Parts: sequence; structure tokens; C-alpha cells
Amino acid sequence: MFIRTDDKITATQTAIFLNNTLLGAGVLTLPRSVSKSVGTPDGWISTLLGGAIVMLVVLLMVKISQQFPGKTVFQYSRLLTGRFIGGILSMLLILYFITIAGFEIRTLAEVTLFFLLEGTPIWAVILPFLWLSTYLVYGGINSIARVYTIVFPISIMILLISFVLSLRMFDIDNLRPVLGKGWSPVFAGLKSTVLVFTGCEVTMTLVAFMDDPKKAVKAMLGGLAILMSIYFLTIIIVIGGISIDSAITSTWPTIDLLRSFEVPGFFFERLEFPFMVIWLMQMFCNFSSFFFQSTLGLSQIFKLKVHPIIYALVPLLFISAMLPKSLGDLFALGDTIGKMGLVLFLLVPVLLSVVWLIRVKGLKQHV
Amino acid sequence: MITLFGMILSYIPGWAIFAQAGVAMLVPLLLAYLYKSLYKLVGSGRGQIGYGARTVPAQGPPPLAPEESSARFTGDLQADLQAVKSGIGNNSDVHFRAFTNAKTGAQGVVIHVDGMQSDRLLSMEVMQYLMHEMPPGPQSSVEMAGHRLPFSELREEEHIRDFNKSVLFGHAALLIDGLRCGLLIEMPGAPSRQADEPVSEALLRGPRLGFTEVLSENTSILRRQGLSDQLEMVSFRAGTAIEREIVVAYMKDIVNPDLLEEIKNRICKIDMDFLAESGYIEQLIEDNYLSPFQQLQNTERPDRVISALLEGRVAILLDGTPFVLIAPVTFSMLLQSPEDYYERWLPGTLLRLMRFGASFFALMAPALYISFISFHPGLIPTELAITIIKTRQGVPFPSLIEVLILEVAIEILREAGIRLPKPIGPAMGIVGGLIIGDAAVQAGIVSPFLVITVAVTAISSFSIPMYSAGITLRMLRFAGMLFASVLGMYGTILFFLLICCHLTKLKSFGVPYLTPLSPFRLSDWKDLFLRAPMALMKRRPKMMKTKQSKRRS
Repeated sequence: MFIRTDDKITATQTAIFLNNTLLGAGVLTLPRSVSKSVGTPDGWISTLLGGAIVMLVVLLMVKISQQFPGKTVFQYSRLLTGRFIGGILSMLLILYFITIAGFEIRTLAEVTLFFLLEGTPIWAVILPFLWLSTYLVYGGINSIARVYTIVFPISIMILLISFVLSLRMFDIDNLRPVLGKGWSPVFAGLKSTVLVFTGCEVTMTLVAFMDDPKKAVKAMLGGLAILMSIYFLTIIIVIGGISIDSAITSTWPTIDLLRSFEVPGFFFERLEFPFMVIWLMQMFCNFSSFFFQSTLGLSQIFKLKVHPIIYALVPLLFISAMLPKSLGDLFALGDTIGKMGLVLFLLVPVLLSVVWLIRVKGLKQHV
Repeated sequence: MITLFGMILSYIPGWAIFAQAGVAMLVPLLLAYLYKSLYKLVGSGRGQIGYGARTVPAQGPPPLAPEESSARFTGDLQADLQAVKSGIGNNSDVHFRAFTNAKTGAQGVVIHVDGMQSDRLLSMEVMQYLMHEMPPGPQSSVEMAGHRLPFSELREEEHIRDFNKSVLFGHAALLIDGLRCGLLIEMPGAPSRQADEPVSEALLRGPRLGFTEVLSENTSILRRQGLSDQLEMVSFRAGTAIEREIVVAYMKDIVNPDLLEEIKNRICKIDMDFLAESGYIEQLIEDNYLSPFQQLQNTERPDRVISALLEGRVAILLDGTPFVLIAPVTFSMLLQSPEDYYERWLPGTLLRLMRFGASFFALMAPALYISFISFHPGLIPTELAITIIKTRQGVPFPSLIEVLILEVAIEILREAGIRLPKPIGPAMGIVGGLIIGDAAVQAGIVSPFLVITVAVTAISSFSIPMYSAGITLRMLRFAGMLFASVLGMYGTILFFLLICCHLTKLKSFGVPYLTPLSPFRLSDWKDLFLRAPMALMKRRPKMMKTKQSKRRS
């Protein structure tokens, strides 16, 4: 066939999709949150550990999704647990996605208002962003994945350049001592490092869209590995650059690091500008992912067409973005999202897997 | 419980937020409605979703004609002649020349149009043959006439109306008493210009040959590119008032049959009284007419067409225009020049990279200027910012107006430069560009730095090898300026993302517009930003899904 009509994405696209869904706000705030909860410079170990844990979680999600080829979690949860419980689980998941989307867009607006557009009303920042994302989501998963494929290499390139140039601020002493207070701070840090991976639930719908679901494990873990190494590098560079004390006190430590030095002979001198550019694009990807996931979920639960739901979700997302009253509220919301993620993890993939095991292995009934 | 309830209540936003949320929903709904209704409005005339097949394959059965036009030749010379004369006899340039064969005494009439045939040839050769040398025999039999008349171009026409059309198109025609058809004996030799170097796509290195306005010459130019038995050309006729010939050319063993079928399908649905230029076809068969980006490439260069055919694309030639369409097209093709392949690979790659950079500037430079100057002077190096702001001190306008003044001026200059005769053009460029630019700075209307920005933008847009792609970027540049003037850098980024979103949705005959960038096809990257050495160009582009992928045996 010359003209493709199926709405499927390749393994590479899936990996990039997952990566772009999760890589966002964390790059700016992770060094602060992790330093706060760890208290020692061992945040990077927590990141690696957190990444490993999330990988296991995602592995479970992929495995359960692979049992139902072509079906998303919104569809197979009803098959497994019945119409009612499945519906409730799916609705929880959708609520979660909408909350994350609102959180993302609000974070974006706050950062933009703080660094780029002081004095602009917040709706003027959020609305165009929302509309643009609507346009993208309207095109379905294929257009979304394609836009991500364009944004991804640009982001990675600029991130790496920023990090390499930040090495001049790097002082290995800021990262010492390693495990100075033993392992307990590292485990304490897990709660903030696992948080930056929130949203990895999209895995359970993504597998359904892959043209070759057998490659799902590879693709998802690959996407997560890229993500994890980026966060790992961020922690190392930022903590090594501005030390743990200033990381704790600063709101957006990564930008502070990039602002703290000048590159002579370079057009921009400070890297904060190109970094902001890719960060904005990355947030756009983040937001569009969750937007898409929620529309997909709603349309599959209620068996409605996707396009009216997209329009209906726009004001909802806007309101959910406007709910936090202050920056403090916003960060508190971020923590809550992390907890929600944990609960949902227990509820959705674990519960579904258990039910699946019981139904298939235990009772030998047909599902 | 009450405190919890109170807390939740305190988080319910005010009416302003809800009003904004309503606006948030209304705008995309409105835009979508506008888009859909626009699409419906124009949709029926477009080839893709049009109804009925008005264009017919030239070899196929003739279209069903109304009663009177289906009149056939009877075989009675006087009656036939009368019928022809009543159809086209009023034209002063149509000549009827009756003759009687010296040997057989058979009666006949030669009909021709002034200027379409070489008069000398006609009178000397044709008439001499007809009057003296034509052998005796049963001329009434159509087959015999066909066999015995020694003309290489000989076609029979049974319908009087089609016969008349062909005569007026320039065929010399022959009516012989007793024949139940009209004979068309010479091809039209209408005046045409010499094949010349294409003006719109000049190259330093490469063939100096461009297409002309005559279809048969164009197809022959394509054939003369080299020996092959796989280059196939299928012809169609389109136009309800004035018919014109369309030729679809492709490599039989390379092109994807589904693609070919799709293109033929769309051409068959063209419904138009007259196709003045291949731009008509382009607009009638493209995928999305609301997109600012072109979905078919037009070119005057045969070498470009042939290499596109070898990549598995399809060329569409129209009689009467030197511009040939190539479909499907991808974004990267618009920034490639045939010269990239004629020069060695390193310069080719460098030039191509430069063109990508230039197109980025042509699109974004004024938007970046506005966002840096008006919104974020802090993001550029301090000294530079101070210099720019110093030079802008006397300028009374906000940066958007300032940029608009100069950009619009330069667009007008460029438009004027195209219309002016060749000797005056450069003079006007100097007057317009240099003097007005300098005077505007002196007068304090614009800042010198802006003049640099606009000049760089203009020059960058000249470096884009496809004129029509250049127009697209020029147009979008203004949209970018508006975004930047409202939201600064943030707006510029949104604008960039908007273009990305649009381009990823756009398709040209089913091929995603940004392939191989996205969807990602690594093997096609050899010919994207880089132009890989010839030795590496082993395979045809994957995105075209060609029948054979290897370029070499």
C-alpha cells in the first residue's frame, strides 16, 4: 500500500513518544526537589535507582498490555474487571492525565511569565499554547509522534551542548562525599526521583498503537533509558555546578546554573535562552501527550467520537491549569500527582495483572 | 469536613476564569468550523473529491457527445463539405482548396489553416501528390485510402465536429469523394520558441536546456535524456471549452503502481473549461488547498524531471507551458538544486546546509528581531543590545511597525523588479534597496540594524532554489512577525511549533511532507541535509516505495 491508513507508530517513534511525554518540568526542578529530600549530594544515585524502579514498573505495564494486542488500558481494563470497575479505573487514569496536563501547562506558564514575559496575563500565555496543542492532537497519534520526532533531536542536541558548556562550573567536590551518610538519604530521595517519571502510565495505551507490539519492551525501556540518562546528567551537572545548598534554595536550579556563566564569543553568551526554547517545546510535547491520552480514554470509555471530546476538554484543561493559586500550590500539586501516580500504579497495572493471572492461570476461564 | 469543603470551595476559580475557559473552547471550534466550511465551499471543484470524470485518456473512447455533434461523414463530398463549412467556414483563416486527380478524376478538398502549415510544403508536395501521382483504385474504401496515401501522419476522423476541432488546431485535412471519413494528414506546425535555458532555475553547471511551450517537444526532450524502454508517457485530455493535452510520465519499472493510479485518478477528475498553465492542474489535484505549502513541485528543467522519475516520482506535463509538475513532493526537495549532484559532494553538502540555514533565516529573522528587541533585550549579549538600542533611539515606532515598513517596502520592490524590463530592473534595485534603505535610516524611521536584518532575510529568501517555495516562506514570515509581536520569544516558538504541526499533518499524494525527517527514515538521510557521495547513493528513496530499490545493477 502506498498510502497508509492505519494509525500506527513504529518502535522508534514509540520510544521518542515516551521520552517526550516524560521529559519536561523535571529538568528544571529535579535538582532542587531531590536535593531537598536527600540532603546529601547523592541525588544522582537516587535518580538511577528511581529510574530502575520505574523501568520495572513499565515492564509490568508493557507485559500486561501485550496480552491484549491493539487494545488500550481503557479497553482491556473493562474486559478484565468488568464494565463498572474497569470504567472507574479508566476514569481515575483520565483524571490523573488531566491533572498532569494542567500541572504541566501551569508550570510552563509560570516559567514563561517569570523568565520571558513579565507582566503578561497568564491566560494570554496558556490559551495560544492550548489551541496549538488542540491542533496537534486533532491530527491523531501519528502527527503527534512525528512532531516529537522533530523536537526530540533538537532538544537532545541543545541539552547536551548546554551541559558540556556548563562543565566550566563543574566542581567534583560538590558531589562529594558519595554515600557520606549511608544509604538512607538515597532511599529518602526516591520519592522525588520517581515523581519525575510520573506519566509513564501512557505506556499502557502506547503499546496498542505500535505496529509491532513485540518490540514494545525494547522501545519503552529504550525511551526510559534516554530519559534516565538525561535526568542523571542534569543532577550531576547542576549539583556539581552550583552545589547542593544553592540547589535547594533556588526555584529553578537548572536555569540558575545556565545563567551563572557566560560563554564568550558565542552569540547568546548565556545558554539560558536556547535552553528555554527547547524546554518550551518539550513542555508542548508533554502537554500534548496527556491531552491526547485523556481524549483517547474518554472516547474509548464512552464510545464517542474523538474530535468533539477534544474540543470539550480544552476548557477543562484550562480550568485545571488555573486551579493552583500560587507557585507553592503548584509544587504541592506536583507532589500530590506523584502520590496519585503511586496509588494508580497499585490500582491499575498491579491489580489488572493480578486479575489477569487469576483469570488465565488460576481459573483457566476464557477472558 | 467543613474545613475541607471550604478549602475546596476556595479553589473554585472566579467567573473570569470560566469566561476564559469558554473562550478557550470557542476559538478552536470556530476555527475548525471555518476550516471545514472553506473546504466544503471549494471542495467540489477539486480533482481529489470531485464527482464525474471529465478528463479522458486520449486513446480511450471519445466522450459521449450531444446529438448534433455526433454527425458523421456521409461519403458524399458536397454534403460533407457543406457540413464542415457550416461548422468552421466563417473563419477567415481557414482555406478550402478543391482539386481533381489527373488520373482518376476523383474529387477532393484540402482544408488547412493559415500559418499552421508550411505553405510551400503543402502546395508543392501534398498537392502535387494528390493531383498527379495518386494511383487509381477504389478510393472509396477507407482502408485502401489509408494504405495508399503516403503520409506518415494520417488519422481518420469520423465525426465532423472532432474533424473541425483538429482542423482548427492546425492539422491539414483532406476530404475525398466517396470516403466516409475525413483524413488528417499533417501535424500542426504552430510557431514556437527555441528551447532555451530556463530563466527561473538558472544553474552554473548543468544542461542549459529547458522545456518549451510545445508538449511534443517537451516529451521529446524527456525522451532524448537517454535510451530507455521503461519511460512511459500516457496522455489525457482535459478542458470542457478548450481541450488540452496532459501527459503523465513515469518509469514503468520503478514507480509505485498505487501512486500512479492515484495521480491518474485525480487527473481524470479535473473539471475545468480551460487549463491555462500547469498551475491549474497543481491546484486542482493537490491534497490540501488551504495549506501555504505547495504539494507539487514545478520545474522547467528536464534533468530535474528525469532524476525525479528515477526516484519513483511522477511527472505531469501540460501542453502550452514549460512548467512540468512533479508529484509527490517533500519539503526537502524544495531546498535542493540539481547542482548539488553535479558538483562534488562536499561543496554540494555545504551549499545545501547553507540553503537550510537561509530558509530558516528567511522565515524567522524578522520574528527573532522583534522578539529580541521588544521583549527580551536581556537575552542577547549586553554590548550588542546596547548598540542596537542606541541606534534605535530616534525611531518613533514599535519594532513591529518598524519591521513591517521595511519588509513591505522590500516586497513591493521585489514585485516591481519582476515586472520591469531587464535593463531597468537592477537600476531600480539600487534605487530601492540602497537609497531608500539609507534614507530611511537617515530619516530615523528605521534602525540600521533592522536594515541589516531585512536585507539578510531578503537575500536568504533569494537563495531558495524554488521560486514558489520562496513565496511560501515570505508569506509565513509575516505570520511569524505577528506571533512575535504579541508574545515575543514565546510566540516565536509557538509559531515554529505550529509550522511543525502543520507540516507533519500535510501529505503530498500520501507521502508525509517532512519525510525522511519525520517519519524518520535514516536511509533517506543520505540525501537530506547531506548529499552523500555518489558511491553511497545505492538505493532509491524508501519513502517512495518504489518497485525496485537498487539504483545499480
